[in-house]
Amino acid sequence: MASLKDKLPAIDPRGFVLPLLLIVVWQAVTSSGWVDTRIIMPPSAVLSAGWKWLNSGLALESIGASLFRDASGFVLGAAAGITIGLLFGTSKLANNVFGPTFHTLKHISIFAWIPLLSAFFGRDDLAKIVFIAFATLYPVALATIEGVRSIAKSQYEVADVYGFTPRQALFRLILPAASPQIITGLHLGLIFAWLATMGAEFLLASTGEGLGMTVIRGRAAFRVDLIIFGMLIIGAFGMLLNELATRAESRLLHWRGHAR
Amino acid sequence: MPNAGTLTINKLNKHYRVKDKDLHILDNVSLSIRPGEFVSIVGSSGCGKSTLLRLIIGLEADYQGDILLDGKPISGTSLDRGIVFQEHRLFPWLTVEQNVGLALENSTLPADEKQRSIQEHIELVGLRGFEKAYPHQLSGGMSQRVAIARGLVNRPEILLLDEPFGALDAMTKYKLQNELQHIWETEGITMILVTHDVEEAIYLGDRVVIMEPRPGRIKRILPVDLPRPRNRLDLDFVRLKEEILSEFGIDQQAEEEELAT
Amino acid sequence: MSTIQSLDKPLVIEPLASLLPRISIPSLGNLPARFGRIGLGIIFPLLLLYLWQIATERVWLPPQLLPEPAFVWETLVDMVSSGELAGHLAVSLQRVLWSVLIGGSIGLAIGFAMGLSKTAKAYLYPSFSLFSQFPVIAWSPLMIIFFGIDEALKISTITVAVIVPFAVATYKGIENVPVKLREVGQIYQFSFAQTLWRIALPAALPAILGGVRQGAMQAWLALVFVELLASSEGLGYLLVYARNLMQLDVVMVCMATIGLVGLIFDFALGFIERHFSRWAPKGR
Repeated sequence: MASLKDKLPAIDPRGFVLPLLLIVVWQAVTSSGWVDTRIIMPPSAVLSAGWKWLNSGLALESIGASLFRDASGFVLGAAAGITIGLLFGTSKLANNVFGPTFHTLKHISIFAWIPLLSAFFGRDDLAKIVFIAFATLYPVALATIEGVRSIAKSQYEVADVYGFTPRQALFRLILPAASPQIITGLHLGLIFAWLATMGAEFLLASTGEGLGMTVIRGRAAFRVDLIIFGMLIIGAFGMLLNELATRAESRLLHWRGHAR
Repeated sequence: MPNAGTLTINKLNKHYRVKDKDLHILDNVSLSIRPGEFVSIVGSSGCGKSTLLRLIIGLEADYQGDILLDGKPISGTSLDRGIVFQEHRLFPWLTVEQNVGLALENSTLPADEKQRSIQEHIELVGLRGFEKAYPHQLSGGMSQRVAIARGLVNRPEILLLDEPFGALDAMTKYKLQNELQHIWETEGITMILVTHDVEEAIYLGDRVVIMEPRPGRIKRILPVDLPRPRNRLDLDFVRLKEEILSEFGIDQQAEEEELAT
Repeated sequence: MSTIQSLDKPLVIEPLASLLPRISIPSLGNLPARFGRIGLGIIFPLLLLYLWQIATERVWLPPQLLPEPAFVWETLVDMVSSGELAGHLAVSLQRVLWSVLIGGSIGLAIGFAMGLSKTAKAYLYPSFSLFSQFPVIAWSPLMIIFFGIDEALKISTITVAVIVPFAVATYKGIENVPVKLREVGQIYQFSFAQTLWRIALPAALPAILGGVRQGAMQAWLALVFVELLASSEGLGYLLVYARNLMQLDVVMVCMATIGLVGLIFDFALGFIERHFSRWAPKGR
């Protein structure tokens, strides 16, 4: 049993210098009256506006709506990505027929799909979720293909020797053997999904509620305090999702041992 | 061109601290090496022989005792001391010529002399024609030759060899041992070879220093009074080898018992 | 399973291979098989095109939503010959270029500082890692407040997107320079500048070039986003403008152009990356 002290990473105080400096300069500049405080708000104003917003009930609604879109898009995109990845990874024919199209389309910068998707699916949740799913699909599919391709021929031979059915081969060999890459792909997909959620909410902000809409409407109303607070919340959720994914990844992959 | 140094090591002690534990790596090592001498150091892994070389070259500090080259204590690395590692440590993005030239980066020689010296040493290790090759195009033995050329090109007083042939196959190894001996004879510099191969130690050394582990210390120093080039099958050679092996607790009797079972 | 990864051979310029950068490169031995594969790859797009044609002929969808393939082609030819497309493309590319230059320099500086100095790392790394986890596009509303919706907005947003991949790649590249090679420099009495130029930089170059590629990709992504958000020229602007007039033919032409530029970036920078790491044939 390692003691708690060993488990906690040592915190280097020098890391706090830069953020503290930023806050101090920010506060000093705003309280000195050198700048227009309607444009550069003091940190205290941001906090108080944020606190008001959090207590208004609007916050919960926005955050909930954004997370719902994020989660729905991610689940759909991940499922599609793994399916496509398995298909391309295991079938040479599928890879040769669909692969070139798939790999060419990936070069279209994802946000460029939003106008087209909005033409087809409108500006509501449907378009946003389709877009988020689409953004998740690529990293997951690419990682899955890589995972399946990395399975050694000798491992397939073991499956052959024991006369695995295709179904057994899929669940006993291919999925477990490719799982490290798939899980890494899912992690990447999660980051992309959050980026896409915010992108969709910024660009299709006219309807519905969400963190992105709150921020972008805050811009229209010139509520700089709310914009900054909203950004911080968006960043915090991004980090939270990333942290959760990192933990899940290391737990799920513990069988690989420490030597990654 | 005798350009050799006298190395004196006196009561050398080295400790490492690993997680609040004190590791005694070298214990009272004393050794004096004459100019132009070839000294082999043998020992099992963990006897501190590589640490000893790293101390002499100046990559490790924090020791007790003295390490003197020509009477002056060494401090840090110096162009007087060259080294060849077990891994060739060539820069993969440089050609053979450029790799050898690295050693002359801080030399005061004029450019044309540098170029001549590089060419000479590439030829000395038998790699003429490979000047423009990249390390990934060379075999293990060839890479090690380049490393030897790099170790020699700035004419150090002393060349340290840290198991330089340890990763090579037997044939290449014999060949390179002969070439190293030839280079040592022509260049006349002091060489210290660390190895775990007893035969190699005797074949090349004027003296063989036997080290034992935990803590690393010198057990015995044996002179090799055999004429060069030595014959590995010569009776005296074999006898000396048996004597050294017996220091490690590997003796004829044990081997015979093993045969009997 | 004949997808043998070519290790020793430098990558040969082959159209298919360039489209599959993360996938093992098919062996080039069998020419007929190769053409067969390209043929297979063309079947699906042709099928889609045929389906598209049928769909428009039988009006499965209103023409505003699904214009005829021939009409989209005409639009493309029109936009190319009138110089309209080139004009917007030039504006977009210029923005990316400036951002890559500015963001790239900042990213390289941060990466070098963190990779070379433990002190710099102690001060910078925590803030940097916080910053790098922020979705880049979340900055854009704040940037609009500060910089308005002009050129400065686009360049600053894209610059922010470029800094992170540049800095991460440089930092990792420098930090991963093998100790064994640094010791060689120490033995030959290398100065700080020599260590930097002769060891750290060449050893880290492949990683840094990987960062350049990543950075260019991120820049292109951020560019399209910020032009969609607020712009009066550039490909993203054209995309939104056409979408609002329901000219989906123009939308499709813009998307194709954006994809083509992304592909060229990826291919060209990937080529440079491989060229400069040719001394390391294994494990790119």
